[in-house]
Amino acid sequence: MRITTVTKMPGGKAIPIGMTVVPPERRMGLSDLEGFGVDEELEGIFLANFMSAFAAHERCVVHLYRMATGLTRIPECREKYTEFEDHTEDHLRILERLIERLDGDPMYASPQARMTEFVATKLVEPILLEGSVDPLTLELTLLEAVTLAERKRRLNWKLISELADQMRETISKQAMREAVEQVESDQDEHVRWAETRWLRMMIAQVM
Amino acid sequence: MGFNPLAEKGIPIEKQLRNWSELNVQPYDKEQVDPYTRTRVITMNGVEVESIIFSHQFARRTDNQEIKRALALTRRIEQQQQMAVNWLMPGEETTLEVTIGYEQTAVDLTAYIARAEPDPYLKQAFEFGLIEDSDHLYRYANMLALLEGKKAERITGPLTEIMPGRPTVAEHCHPFDDIRAHYDKNTVDPLSRLHAMTITAAEQQTMNFYMNMGNRYTEPLARALYLEIAMIEEQHVTQYESLLDPLESWFQQEVYHHYNECYLYHSFMSQESDPRVRAIWELHLNMEIEHLRVACEMMRRYEGIEAEEILPKELPEPTLFRENKQYVRQVLADQDELRTVGTQFVPLDQLPEDAKYFEYRDAVNGGFAPSERVIEEHVNAHGDDYRFMPEGPHPVQGLRRAAPQN
Repeated sequence: MRITTVTKMPGGKAIPIGMTVVPPERRMGLSDLEGFGVDEELEGIFLANFMSAFAAHERCVVHLYRMATGLTRIPECREKYTEFEDHTEDHLRILERLIERLDGDPMYASPQARMTEFVATKLVEPILLEGSVDPLTLELTLLEAVTLAERKRRLNWKLISELADQMRETISKQAMREAVEQVESDQDEHVRWAETRWLRMMIAQVM
Repeated sequence: MGFNPLAEKGIPIEKQLRNWSELNVQPYDKEQVDPYTRTRVITMNGVEVESIIFSHQFARRTDNQEIKRALALTRRIEQQQQMAVNWLMPGEETTLEVTIGYEQTAVDLTAYIARAEPDPYLKQAFEFGLIEDSDHLYRYANMLALLEGKKAERITGPLTEIMPGRPTVAEHCHPFDDIRAHYDKNTVDPLSRLHAMTITAAEQQTMNFYMNMGNRYTEPLARALYLEIAMIEEQHVTQYESLLDPLESWFQQEVYHHYNECYLYHSFMSQESDPRVRAIWELHLNMEIEHLRVACEMMRRYEGIEAEEILPKELPEPTLFRENKQYVRQVLADQDELRTVGTQFVPLDQLPEDAKYFEYRDAVNGGFAPSERVIEEHVNAHGDDYRFMPEGPHPVQGLRRAAPQN
């Protein structure tokens, strides 16, 4: 079983901030984050926190696809959700490897990651209102959730790509470029398919 | 290898319904019962009530029939479990006698949990509440002696000392100062989560019991004492529930509730001295294994999260009822003068003069403090207050009697 949830068991770490407390042995120190992306003059802390939030989003999208695969009644959607879940798990692995190459810890859950998870999990909540909508609305809502989630994923990968473009020739830049190259075609396909499928379904209802 | 409820086969849920006769269990004998059997009953009653209330709240957040039905079915069984557990308490026990049991539960459950707690902040929160509950036991014990002429040690046995803790009159805090920081779901030790959930449930049950039973007395001082201490229990519920991470979803919380029930039934089964009660813990464990399976299935289906991702491979070390006398004494000696400001614990002498604590405390204690009056009346009637301190003089000089040394 692929672990897609950060907990203490696989080595979760965090920074105590505001209302959270973190056991001393699980605390990530700011000095640990400063060296993120060692060979660049980057804001290591900000980048490490963002990458953690990015990983949180990828994990939530895996959960979204698992949920959507089980709930959709449209065979084509089920097939795509299954395929995209596999892709997203791969992308999560690639992202986790990238974080490691940048001297980070993929099991670090930043404050930003908490907020990302909070927002992203709202995409699976529409199922709670399933009793007062028709099956078509539910399917469209699943598709909308996928579309929103994939657009955000693409934006995150685009940020990595643009950062790499603006960096000097370093190991970090190389790592980031390689990661983006491994996911970008899948990413484009996911967004394209979700948007097209949603439009097709909507138009079919109107015309 | 320890016990993993995910790997066990429970009783199929459709076979869990019991008839009225099965639920209307023979109560324990109040003269013979092991005090810690009583405290286990009180704890599990509170844990079942919490699970039921949580399930109702969850059900109000959805109109998905599949989810509502799954919750309703499990909840009905939980309700039966609560009845079977709570009906073990005999009608012969007076409200005050039951109350002594509740406070013994609060003291020894909180103490054990604080001792076992790996997170220093949570441990501090548990210790802070511990010596307040210890004081409640003392105040109610004096009320019991006054109203019913009984010694509370006949209920608690030699297991728990009865002596002043942080004085109830000093426990009243501004609501803002009862809120604590919470654990982080990404890093929390699974045992810490279970501790926070268990204490929240136990204190909530105590609060509800006092809120509902405190007006059953005609004696004005008894009524006043219950309402005063009920307000502290409300403070405790506020404190303990705020330790829980709000990032945990409804489905995850449903899973954790049933995991905690498995954990506690398994814990209590391992040390229960009464074979008849032990059989109930075992039966309920086998029911909870199934409730956990249902909850995990919902989480998998509606959130895409596998239970194995968020639950440990085996139950943590059990929570047990054991003597904690020396530990309670040490906490009392070290922390009697501790107070809170916001989410932090602060020595009394470091509180700012304009701390909300003083304003609130003075407002609620403005007339008289029932928790002080009950001691005064006992002293007036019997020449001294009632204490049970087999371990020696009180650990805090200022809380010792003038004479004899105690």
